[in-house]
Amino acid sequence: MSLIRLTRRAALTAGGAVLVATLPGRGARAADSPYRVAALNPVTGAGSTYGGGMQKSILFALEEVKKAGGVDGRPIEVYAEDTQTSPDAAVLAVRKLIDANKVQAILGTWSSSVSLAVQPITNAAGCLLFHVSSAPALSAPAQNPKHLGFRFQAGSPQIGAAYAEIAAKQGAKNVAVMAFNNDVQIASTTVFKAAWDKTGNKLAGSVVYEPNRTSYSAELQRVLGTKPDLIVVSGYVPDTTIILREAFEAGNTAPIIIPGWAWSPAVQKAVGPEALEGLIVFDSVPDSEGAAFKTYDAGYRAAMGVAGVNNVYASMAYDMGIVLALAMQKAGAAADNAAISAAVLEIAGPAGQKVTSFAEGKMALKASQKINYEGASGPLDFDANGDAISVFGVNKFHNGTLERLYLLK
Amino acid sequence: MDGVALLNLAVTGLVQGLLIGLAALAVSLCFAIARFPNAATGDFMTLGAYAGVAVQGWTGSLLTGAAAGVAVVAAVSLASYGLVFRHFRGRSLVAPLIASIGLAFLLRSVLTFLVGFDQQSFRVPVARALVFGGVRIRPMDLWLMAFSVATLAVVLAVLFLTPVGRRMRAVADNPELARASGIRSRPVMITLWTLIGVCSAVGGVMLGLRTVVVPEMGWNILLPAFAAAVLGGVGNPAGAVLAGIGLGLAEALSTPLVGFTYQSSIAFVVLILTLVLRPQGLLGRAEAVR
Repeated sequence: MSLIRLTRRAALTAGGAVLVATLPGRGARAADSPYRVAALNPVTGAGSTYGGGMQKSILFALEEVKKAGGVDGRPIEVYAEDTQTSPDAAVLAVRKLIDANKVQAILGTWSSSVSLAVQPITNAAGCLLFHVSSAPALSAPAQNPKHLGFRFQAGSPQIGAAYAEIAAKQGAKNVAVMAFNNDVQIASTTVFKAAWDKTGNKLAGSVVYEPNRTSYSAELQRVLGTKPDLIVVSGYVPDTTIILREAFEAGNTAPIIIPGWAWSPAVQKAVGPEALEGLIVFDSVPDSEGAAFKTYDAGYRAAMGVAGVNNVYASMAYDMGIVLALAMQKAGAAADNAAISAAVLEIAGPAGQKVTSFAEGKMALKASQKINYEGASGPLDFDANGDAISVFGVNKFHNGTLERLYLLK
Repeated sequence: MDGVALLNLAVTGLVQGLLIGLAALAVSLCFAIARFPNAATGDFMTLGAYAGVAVQGWTGSLLTGAAAGVAVVAAVSLASYGLVFRHFRGRSLVAPLIASIGLAFLLRSVLTFLVGFDQQSFRVPVARALVFGGVRIRPMDLWLMAFSVATLAVVLAVLFLTPVGRRMRAVADNPELARASGIRSRPVMITLWTLIGVCSAVGGVMLGLRTVVVPEMGWNILLPAFAAAVLGGVGNPAGAVLAGIGLGLAEALSTPLVGFTYQSSIAFVVLILTLVLRPQGLLGRAEAVR
């Protein structure tokens, strides 16, 4: 694995900005100014599990656009860069992409720390930012005044509501909450508490815990003392690992709900099947039966050699390419980013004729129809803040593996 | 909050305190004898944990893994003396301090380059805690306490009961006088850096057993370790261990009062209060190593 990472990094640094592809639209005149797009992904660093696949997916999505004749009057050029999952490296990359490469849209930033660092720069430059980060601030009106930012996965309000819905489905009456101390997790649990209050059930206890502690025994002691019949733990992989292990050691038998980003094979290895029995994990799931997913999956298999379902963020990255191209097609060849941003809501809202590819969408748009792109990552209907609405798969750990219980729409 | 709940918190705090104590002992030994605060202590611990996980993975034995962790870190610790810190003898503490920060980053970068950022873990069985009259004690914690107490005892015994320990204390007290009395610095330094490596590695393996093994794990415990080293009286290893245990207990027992968000800041508060009110530390100069 380190070898692959080395070659990727070497390729990226040696090449600097790799001009990956120039994709002129069919019939583009020389006078047509190209629209420049950056695929800016966590190819190395903590996000490297996803970043390489995300970048490839943006590239083959735009390749698909090109094969379908491109956006009328607007060739698209792509520049690929690595964020190293580090805000510092990402800011340098964005400065270069905007100042030197003159990109007008940045696609595929992953971690919240990176997206939050990049957003002020893209806002100032009037550049679009499509990301998959969960920080609530990214879509707050103050930080996203011109609606240039779009989140291609669920935001905190939807995640918080999902906790409440799953808890209710489990028949819980007395739920305790443990939240990692950052704005994403606290916002989700705040939404959860409000939604849970409305069901008339009790909130047993609530604890905000610090990252990087060597033990969460004291926190668990407080939570378990309230005798909860279900516990929501809203955190990340390392802290969730410790909490799951210590909860079992402390004699806990109440089921625990965790979000998918706090789950990994490493958690399973560290905690073991006995202590994990009954754990509930929910995560955004791609619409694996949909036509867009099948196109994406074929592309992902060709590019990465494994099934597309392994990388939910890559399915979102694929959708970024298609959504951008459809919005450009809708807005017209002379459109600026304000018009393209407005067009995103029109082509990927809940209303309109369902389309599942750029070719299909372009044809419908040319026939002046209202369209609704149904993506590989889900229905992809954006709310007014620019947050996508996800479908969650709810799974239960049983006999050593995660089993799907149901889909939450 | 009843007595049983407080006792449970005290158990948590005691294990945490022993861990901080081990790290603080490594910091304090270095400060007493090599005369600079070694910021690479945390990354020595991380290295010990990674080496332990790797060797446990190959051999299947936790004990072999832990022993390998100790051996690797002792070797790296000696190498860091031979290659880096030896050259700073007689200079102000700023130069070796900066060098140790650089060494810390270097060790972490090499580690993440080789093994990546993904979390690793020791393979240990997870078991329900033993309950004694409402007080829960995890079997793992009993082992950790036994091992850390044994390590602390061995290191302090070397320091206070052996001839090389006496020479180390002589160098700590007055390097010029020690040299004038014919104490050669090389064996002292080799023993010192081996002990630093052993303390760090045992601390790192313990930390890894208790939590998960990630590249920042050691760096994150450095602040409490420094706070304990200062609280115990700078350059006073026995005081550092006591202060580490006290700090762990204080963090855990403070949670009913200050909550969970601020327990980590206890180390900062202790550090500041000590520096303002009792800069000589708990045990003070009079009882410092010599």
